[in-house]
Amino acid sequence: MNANTWQIILTIIQYFFLIFSISAITSYILLGIISAIETRSYMKKNSFVNYKEILSSPFSPSISIIAPAYNESLNIVENVRSLLSSHYVNYDVIIVNDGSKDDSLEKLIKAYDLIQIDIPINEQIKTKPLRGGVYKSTNPAFDKLIVVDKENGGKADALNMGLNISKNKYVASIDVDCLLLEDALQKLIKPFLEITDQKVIAAGGVIRIANSCTIKDGKLLEINFPNKWLEQGQILEYLRAFLLGRMAWSRLNGLLVISGAFGLFDKKIAIEVGGYDTNTVGEDMEIIVRMRRHMQEINQKYKVAYIPDPLCWTEAPDNYKTFISQRNRWTRGTIETLKKHKKIGFNKKYFSLGLLSYPYWFIFERMAPIVEVAGLIYFGILIFFDYVRWDYSLSFILLAYSFSVLFSIVAIISEELTYNQYKKKKIGIKLIIISFLEPIVNHPFILYAAIKGNIEYYFYKKIEWGTMTRKGMGNT
Amino acid sequence: MNEYNFILQYFNQFPLIIKVVWITSVILMTNVFILIIYLRYLRNKLRVKSSLESKCQMYFESSLITYLYSGNEEEDFSIEQKKIIKELKGVTSEAFKRKVLIATLLKLRNEITGEIADSIDKLYIELGLLQYPLSKLRHKKWDVIANAIRELTLFQVKGIQSVVMKNINHPKKEVRKEMQLYLVQLFTFKGLEFLNLLQTPLSEWDQIQLLEILQKSDDQDITDIKPWLKSTNESVVSFALKLARLYNQYEVKDEIIALLNHKNELIRVNAIESLNHLNVLEAKVVLKSNFIETSLDEQIAFVKMLENTYESSDKFFLLDYRNHENQEIKLIIMEIMKNLNFEEYYLYDTELFEDITNKKTTA
Amino acid sequence: MNEAKKIVLAEDNSVLSLLLKFRLEKEGYKLLIAKDGKEALELIEQFDPELILTDIMMPFVSGLEVISHVRNKLISQTPIIVFSSAGQEEIVLKAFDLGATDFMSKPFSPHELVIRVKRLLQ
Repeated sequence: MNANTWQIILTIIQYFFLIFSISAITSYILLGIISAIETRSYMKKNSFVNYKEILSSPFSPSISIIAPAYNESLNIVENVRSLLSSHYVNYDVIIVNDGSKDDSLEKLIKAYDLIQIDIPINEQIKTKPLRGGVYKSTNPAFDKLIVVDKENGGKADALNMGLNISKNKYVASIDVDCLLLEDALQKLIKPFLEITDQKVIAAGGVIRIANSCTIKDGKLLEINFPNKWLEQGQILEYLRAFLLGRMAWSRLNGLLVISGAFGLFDKKIAIEVGGYDTNTVGEDMEIIVRMRRHMQEINQKYKVAYIPDPLCWTEAPDNYKTFISQRNRWTRGTIETLKKHKKIGFNKKYFSLGLLSYPYWFIFERMAPIVEVAGLIYFGILIFFDYVRWDYSLSFILLAYSFSVLFSIVAIISEELTYNQYKKKKIGIKLIIISFLEPIVNHPFILYAAIKGNIEYYFYKKIEWGTMTRKGMGNT
Repeated sequence: MNEYNFILQYFNQFPLIIKVVWITSVILMTNVFILIIYLRYLRNKLRVKSSLESKCQMYFESSLITYLYSGNEEEDFSIEQKKIIKELKGVTSEAFKRKVLIATLLKLRNEITGEIADSIDKLYIELGLLQYPLSKLRHKKWDVIANAIRELTLFQVKGIQSVVMKNINHPKKEVRKEMQLYLVQLFTFKGLEFLNLLQTPLSEWDQIQLLEILQKSDDQDITDIKPWLKSTNESVVSFALKLARLYNQYEVKDEIIALLNHKNELIRVNAIESLNHLNVLEAKVVLKSNFIETSLDEQIAFVKMLENTYESSDKFFLLDYRNHENQEIKLIIMEIMKNLNFEEYYLYDTELFEDITNKKTTA
Repeated sequence: MNEAKKIVLAEDNSVLSLLLKFRLEKEGYKLLIAKDGKEALELIEQFDPELILTDIMMPFVSGLEVISHVRNKLISQTPIIVFSSAGQEEIVLKAFDLGATDFMSKPFSPHELVIRVKRLLQ
């Protein structure tokens, strides 16, 4: 009888893992198909779009780019230059120096002939106070630049200061070390102006990894493929996430996150919901969820738009230490956001937001690492008691592995068919090789970081709040 | 053979679920290898295509320039031009090269006007390129039609509007939009007549495209926009308000003032902005008397209007609202008072001024 | 004054560049072509041209910065004609603030450009 009960428990556990895996795989396949449909239709619609008109029209809406900077002295002058060289006309750039301890501000003052000015600030969102004040350039060529020097309050607080300062209709948040492509703004503003039956509250696009690429004077000259597996694996991961995942969610109008590296928002709504949350490390995801929730609650039709065009290039971590701490933060950001908004989860009042997006994030993003580790522990126990049928296990491992390789290859093909950015010879082979390696060389670290994030969230969460670590790619 | 049998036997004794998993994995792996082969083929194809494209483009660019500068006054086409036409005609049957050629023509066509632009349009016809978009106007794929119309618009091909117009009720909005652009490009304000019948919304993006075409055209003789200001289609009203601003249509001020009671808030705000732009001072009386009942956005738009159109009679209004609960309105009023150097300004507001400038926060 | 007068042309549209080069060289000028503002500045510093033609919207260093660099850093009074797109009045005003000599709104007639160039280089 004892043996029998054991058998039943084991079967239940096995079926749990089996069902989890099958539903994960099914959801990936569905997302892949949806994204293919959506990408095709986007490409068709935009093959003959003329973006020039939006640049010269006096009716093109005003945009503020808000770039928080913390101890970015090394590259700040170049980075600002790249932000100033966008082709869009009706925009300004607000650099928020978030209490940097280095000479960022002095460098900016010198490079752009800045002087302090007195402007009234409409403090719609509470932030840390100004330190040096607000600066503008005396040179009309840099007329678009506004530099704000404030006391340290973290990235979210800096973004909120930018929201207060901006006088424009739309705001773009960007990591200051991101290389913004010159046509990014005109492409990203299009969904806001084009969709008439829904209110577009935010929009995002594709972020690419700039490691090893040749960048000169704030301009991307040559796209290269890095040598380290870690960097290559991340490129693959970004391709999968942006080209397959987010594109599909945009079709379903269920996007829960716009990358903090670059996104465009309707300022009025962003302020209405209270701006960025300074109490989370995942402020980029949290604000989208809160804005969506707000729109649902006031019963207005809305959309979070997404376009598959590459808009900006960013440095990804090139060593395991930074990589792990980045993923650790992402995990905590996700947990915090989902927890804060747990009311919408599985709540039919929020329609697809509550019944589709939230559950998906909760089960396959939030819980997946935990299930995976539980699976590994279970497997370890089986090995220990010599219960393992290796020929059975092997089949499951192979299934998971071949699926993940297949998914990567599909992502690469969809990149080739759409933007074909990795044109150089031999990159093709490297991409294929890393598709096979990535599940082995990168995934374990992602899993480790996610578990670490969970542990830190539950056991050490107070500690990190004291010292504000800026969320960024931190590779400078 | 024996080994094969052994594997088969071994496989057969698996439970069903394990069998399924094994088979699926093998299928997935096979797919992986097929896709890898496809990927290699694809990358190669794209590479060849792009190098061919840049070669063609360079060749077309230099032929085009030579063509443009080898014409003379006496003949339609000089001998040298005829030679280039013959050469280029040779490639137009290949879809790919034709596409590059058209892109090259457009790259220059879009940036210039005058004789040279006309000369490019003439070359386009002479090369027999017109037959391709014309034959596509009845295509079953909507994106092919839209592309064809776009091409006709860009080369300003006249005399075919009746064929293009057949798409007036095309189910895809992208096709209808291209058609609208075509009509406006060729007939400017007369082309805008479709607005009288338009039922569907005209997005901001479309409006901007149309306005830019109008602005670039030589014909600046605007037609009567009053009917559009009264349209039941809200996007048409908003478009007409933009026209009023762009072409300084002071004469439609009464229609715009009437829009201050429109049921759509955005239109009311746009109307105030247009009145501001047109400097319709008489509208201020109405706006002041309704101020409290209007929405926040309207109030902001109106205070901004006062910033541009200040008269001494506005002083008391400003003083009344200098403590408005909305910070933005308060700031604009401050700004007006400061810029105009109200002698009483400091009398009233030293405290308030300190309160809202950043001086406080640094202290 | 036997030597041909030098003109730096900064324009990212290669065909337009080629067209203007052809047209202006026919009038006896020597054209130096830059495809962005950065190259333009290098050519200007190296050759000290008699005239500068620059598009406003260019990759990396914009036409405005070219003007600002020429007037403020090089302290040179070389005439500058800027090309802008229709509707960019604000930028054109800024260009004049910085010291632009003349402007042409795209799309423009190359013929008219030649007339203006000739007038400035008389």
